[in-house]
Amino acid sequence: MIELEHVSFSYEVNVSEGDREDGLGRDGQEHDGLHDINLKIADGECVLFCGRSGCGKTTITRLVNGLIPQFYQGELHGRVLVDGQEISNLPMYQIAAKVGSVFQNPRTQFFNVDTDSEIAFGIENEARPPQELAERVEQTTEDLHIQKLRSRNIFELSGGEKQKIAFASVYAMNPKIYLLDEPSSNLDMTSIQELKEHLRLIKSQGKTILIAEHRLYYLMELADRIVYLEKGQIRKIYTPEEFRKLPEAEREHMGLRAVDLTEVLPPQKCLPVSAPILELQDVTLRYKKRTILHHIALSAAKGEVIGVVGHNGAGKTTFSRALCGLHKDCDGQFLWDGRPMDRKARLKKSYMVMQDVNYELFADSVEAECSFGIQGPDQKLVTETLEKLGLASYREQHPNTLSGGQKQRVAVAVSMICGKNLLVFDEPTSGLDFDSMAQVAGLIRRLSDMGKVIFIVTHDFEFVCRTCSRVLHFDEGEMPDDVPVVMDALPKLRELFSVKVNGSEGDREGGLGHSDGKER
Amino acid sequence: MSGERQKKGLWLDPRAKLFLILICVLASMFAPSLAYQFALVVLIAILGTFFGKWKYVIKAVCFYAVICVLTVWIMAEMTGTLRTMFIAFLGLFHKVYACGMLAGIVLSTTKVNEFLSAMNRVHAPKKLVIPLAVMLRYIPTIQEDWRYIKDAMRMRDVSPSFGGFLSHPGMTVECIYVPLMMTASKAADELSIASVTRGIENPNPRTCLVQIKCGIADWMIMAAAIAFLLFELCMRGGVIG
Amino acid sequence: MKNQANSMNKGLTVKDLVTTGIFTALLFVFILVGGIFFATNPVLTFFMPAGSGLLAGPVYLLLIAKVQKRWSLSIMGIIIGIIWFVTGMHWAFALGYLIMAIVADFVAGAGQYKSKKFNSIAYILFSLGGTGSYIVFFADPNGWAQTMLGNGTEQSYIDTMQATANTGILIAMFAAAIITSAISAFVGCKMLKKQFEKAGITA
Repeated sequence: MIELEHVSFSYEVNVSEGDREDGLGRDGQEHDGLHDINLKIADGECVLFCGRSGCGKTTITRLVNGLIPQFYQGELHGRVLVDGQEISNLPMYQIAAKVGSVFQNPRTQFFNVDTDSEIAFGIENEARPPQELAERVEQTTEDLHIQKLRSRNIFELSGGEKQKIAFASVYAMNPKIYLLDEPSSNLDMTSIQELKEHLRLIKSQGKTILIAEHRLYYLMELADRIVYLEKGQIRKIYTPEEFRKLPEAEREHMGLRAVDLTEVLPPQKCLPVSAPILELQDVTLRYKKRTILHHIALSAAKGEVIGVVGHNGAGKTTFSRALCGLHKDCDGQFLWDGRPMDRKARLKKSYMVMQDVNYELFADSVEAECSFGIQGPDQKLVTETLEKLGLASYREQHPNTLSGGQKQRVAVAVSMICGKNLLVFDEPTSGLDFDSMAQVAGLIRRLSDMGKVIFIVTHDFEFVCRTCSRVLHFDEGEMPDDVPVVMDALPKLRELFSVKVNGSEGDREGGLGHSDGKER
Repeated sequence: MSGERQKKGLWLDPRAKLFLILICVLASMFAPSLAYQFALVVLIAILGTFFGKWKYVIKAVCFYAVICVLTVWIMAEMTGTLRTMFIAFLGLFHKVYACGMLAGIVLSTTKVNEFLSAMNRVHAPKKLVIPLAVMLRYIPTIQEDWRYIKDAMRMRDVSPSFGGFLSHPGMTVECIYVPLMMTASKAADELSIASVTRGIENPNPRTCLVQIKCGIADWMIMAAAIAFLLFELCMRGGVIG
Repeated sequence: MKNQANSMNKGLTVKDLVTTGIFTALLFVFILVGGIFFATNPVLTFFMPAGSGLLAGPVYLLLIAKVQKRWSLSIMGIIIGIIWFVTGMHWAFALGYLIMAIVADFVAGAGQYKSKKFNSIAYILFSLGGTGSYIVFFADPNGWAQTMLGNGTEQSYIDTMQATANTGILIAMFAAAIITSAISAFVGCKMLKKQFEKAGITA
């Protein structure tokens, strides 16, 4: 039993606030705190917290796992009780035995270099005897079907696999309560499906589950209650039935992502395509002497937005790096406007907006970032671009103090100012709520109107339907599919994104093998 | 240090391995002549073959033989300041080579978790074990980060090379340090949260999934190492240098 | 609120330890990258400490700025010492870093870990740790060379050694190490102010 009684919390605003926002929030308003929250969660319940970025859903999970007030400082009123005990009076390690937490970013959640030790990390901290450690690890492996991940180097795993190990580590501790803070943000469709199965398992064991999440569709069968938060307050509590019945317009107005992916549809008709400007002829890519993709032929017109899908290790990353002229080991021709481009020329022409934008922000203010590395920057162009992208009011701020979505826009601004014509976005919607997703979609449409060729590596079906004109599918070193995003191609699109229509075909649940291998 | 599955061959307790390195340091410190250094390298090579590292061992011994010949030649031919430099350099080289070679074998046959388990068993304080574990885990992350940063720099027309550094020092410095340290500081936060919520603050001593045991092989190899060191000391006649 | 008050004063928290670990990794990589070129070059070998000191300053100073507590820098030194030792580096090298790291910790502590001046001096001192093995060489160049020359060391050899192992090189080594690490610390201070304090990632 979890009880929140008149809980209010506001984060302490100090210099290190920016740190926290950057590290854990995706939005500058993410941690607006909470006002007078009252909630009782019974044992064995599965509660989903949703709402816009900054609504306070993450803050609620932090209250329950004790990170507030022990890690995040601020002003706390009211009481948070777990099984009648006040959380703020317990030391963290005692809370950890009761409440297990899984977080958003799989890259920074592990403490060890190998998977076995990582699964055992929590129970080692609990100082259980070695015999029991081994048994628990075995049991966990069996329950979660992760035999393939045992005794592996964590750095060789894909994001989805890392997340599974993080879950397994918590599972091994066997807590009564599981807290998940946007666990699906960095996962592909298959991994999300597997996460769902794991949640189903712990639910059947009678565990209490609290999830803060933007992607809602995969939780509809699991959640008992859905708590909608707005500005730090509980606006309404729904049952899944009520929630499903919400009209699309209202749901979008609430800032929520799709509830049922089978209702997400591509546009009826595709826009007419002009003559191709970018052409790939017989392109073969190798990574460390292994052929990743062979004999790819492709053409794209100005303003086309092309989605790129495929499971981890299928070569999406290598493909995008080759497009941008970052990958050396490739054969074949890249033509731009009929003229061949070598690697250097592609590098000049293209820009990649990385999944973790932090890697490409170097300067000490947004404005400086936009003219960074340019001799004699065009101040007018910088100002114009910043205004166009709604960044004008942040020009003096350090890029690191911005939200994830804003950082992404800074990167886009850079590409516009540098006059790049070929843009690659790597998972631009990971961890974004509906509003931000729609904003990114709008941005991409605008770039498309400017005549840029855009590639988007993504797992996000909803986003693809909103933005892309076609989808490339990489598999087994080839490009078996090049599908237009239109109604006619719906079944194929659904297959590519593992969207199941009422439990019928397209069953990918058994496809654990699909998420194998390395991302890069 | 790899996290890979244990290969076939000899398995030694990490504590025994640490002890071997210590003996090796002492043995190179007290080696009376190049011949003893060479003997030490050969002994380590034999140990290496027990671990099944044939190729590594053969290369290492051949390389060392070449350097030894070179040393003898330099000692005979060179004079002046250049000679001092070479003496310092080669002296360091000879003192370090055997240890480095042993370290190569040790690192490639020890998993991080075994090493940490050993630290646990020798009751190293938590305040040391936690940062050490984090450091070992973070080094591969730096490698990954660096690849992304290089890509990002190239797209901004900043060359991630020494030449690039010379032509735009200020910019290159920012490109390297800023993203690396921003991600490091973010990782520090998230990693500490992930470990705190899994009870790392528990005051009870941690247990360890990987159990390490000192077996007969460990004792025998340690004994052999001590024997070599003693032999060397006897031959040297107690002179310290 | 009592908990956080405690955690503020009670010495190193888990977050401090993790931060120390992560920055030790970065520092180690920078020391290695800076030094490796010199270490493998016989003519430049004495400038290895200078090379290692050149890159790591910003990392060191940001670590101080993030933790601002005693022992963090010492722990870092101990870990680096352990790693040097385990990777088979010369013992005096490992010991040098360990001792100088602890000395540096107290120097930075004298400025409450907030004074840029003290922190920079601390970094310079820490960088001098790399001279450990060369000091051993200068302390006893004959003993150092003896191994290579074999038992039949002639007196003439020893005489040339004493003549050439002059203090000039020793001074040059220290001067170079101090200059490069001072530059590094200077760049680090600038960067802290320009970037990291503005970005809000210091404590």
